[in-house]
Amino acid sequence: MRPVAVIGAGMTKFGRSEWPLLKLMNVASLAALRDANLGDVKVDGVVVANMGAARLNKQTALASALADSLNLLPAMAESVENGPASGASAFKIGYQAIASRMADVVLVTGVEMMRAVNNLEATDFVASLTHPEAEYIYGVTLPALAGMFARLYMERYGITREHLAMVAIKNHANAMKNPYAHIHQTVTMEGILTAPEAVVNNPPIAEPLHMFDCCPVSDGAAAVVLATQEIAEKLGRPIVRVAGIGQATDTHAVHERPDPTELTAVRLAAQRAFAMAGLSAQDIDVAELHDAFTILEIAESEEVGFFKKGEGHKALAAGVTSLVGKLPINPSGGLKAKGHPVGATGVAQLVELTWQLRGEAGERQVESAKNAFACNFGGFGNNVVATVLTREG
Amino acid sequence: MDEKVYGARCKDCGKETYPVHARCPECGSEALEPIEITGEGKVLTYTDLYALPLDYERRYLRLAIVELDSGLRATGQLLDEKPKIGKRVKTTIGVVRQSGDRKIHGLRFVPV
Repeated sequence: MRPVAVIGAGMTKFGRSEWPLLKLMNVASLAALRDANLGDVKVDGVVVANMGAARLNKQTALASALADSLNLLPAMAESVENGPASGASAFKIGYQAIASRMADVVLVTGVEMMRAVNNLEATDFVASLTHPEAEYIYGVTLPALAGMFARLYMERYGITREHLAMVAIKNHANAMKNPYAHIHQTVTMEGILTAPEAVVNNPPIAEPLHMFDCCPVSDGAAAVVLATQEIAEKLGRPIVRVAGIGQATDTHAVHERPDPTELTAVRLAAQRAFAMAGLSAQDIDVAELHDAFTILEIAESEEVGFFKKGEGHKALAAGVTSLVGKLPINPSGGLKAKGHPVGATGVAQLVELTWQLRGEAGERQVESAKNAFACNFGGFGNNVVATVLTREG
Repeated sequence: MDEKVYGARCKDCGKETYPVHARCPECGSEALEPIEITGEGKVLTYTDLYALPLDYERRYLRLAIVELDSGLRATGQLLDEKPKIGKRVKTTIGVVRQSGDRKIHGLRFVPV
């Protein structure tokens, strides 16, 4: 195994795209390639992360299309579908290709165009990852699983809807400083919880979760360029090294987990990533967690080891996870406000962390970040990829 | 149409599961026999789903995970006007989804 670095990062603005799928991929990929500034060095691998283009956009074999469009032929290329963890899975495959000497430079692009269909169809598309016989047939969707998880979690640990709202308020505030975010809207406790009109502004989606506890449905693409450390060193920029990657699976049907409030795959993926990096949760300076639902940011912040079980909401309330806190979580705005084009999300998390580690995150820059962590949560936690990036020097 | 819901019991270690796996999650054995998912239990958690999936025309869908007295857990629809964590319920079988002309049967929990 040889060291691998992120040498380029780019993305499209998340939201509703007027572009076709291929153009979305092109724009994010070209931004990452320009950022990498490779000169004569060739890209010899392409990995595309996507969950639903076959169904949503009637398009398949996206990596082959992208390699051709970007004049990267005859690079090897493949598309990866791993539910909402597709992005970090594709990144992992790109890492493996370079670490194992099968490639020197790999472009990893994540993309999803979910607004090509109506909301019902988009919800059903994501719900198709649930267990077909034991969950899907009952009308179970991802928000439904999150609602049942939240009710149990909140009861057990004394978390209130006010704590959930704090996640939304924080992440929307961060997204205001991110030009790529889907939603630029300041959210207040009055507006979504305490004022009389909050009932209208913030309707229930899956009790106890309301609209402002759930990520929007987004289009978007994000891309990174990975290369050997040797190539990275010649570029004369701060080196962002891929320090650790960990992945773990869990039961398909959520009800089969011994304790349904535990996200075991999150815990194991993080442990594996930290072990590979030779670091611990306490070494992390900035994190992107998979807040498809507000409760998940709190639960993941505990499972990955930032806080003890049942204490994540206290750290949140104390401001520890705010942009100026000791451990900023989701400086990009998270899935909650930056948006969640499912195949792009895992890559977009790593784009944000690359910018953070290089000191290029503008108004949302976390001060002197050296070690960064991402959790890309697939299914309802049945396939999770954790990544640790480190700035060298 | 089969109007029962089945899990599996491992003939080697006795572990019961729902849904059915190809190999026992406990010991890995492929020797599994069907068991009917039925009986009483208590509500572990529930939600009222307002963002309805395809195939449903109503205001909301009440879904629950129930822990049966046998120790098995199951997800299903909850037909209870006053749901509460820990409340006693029992399994019934009914139409849980209608997709076009196809009626799908499954678990509907009702108060004991």
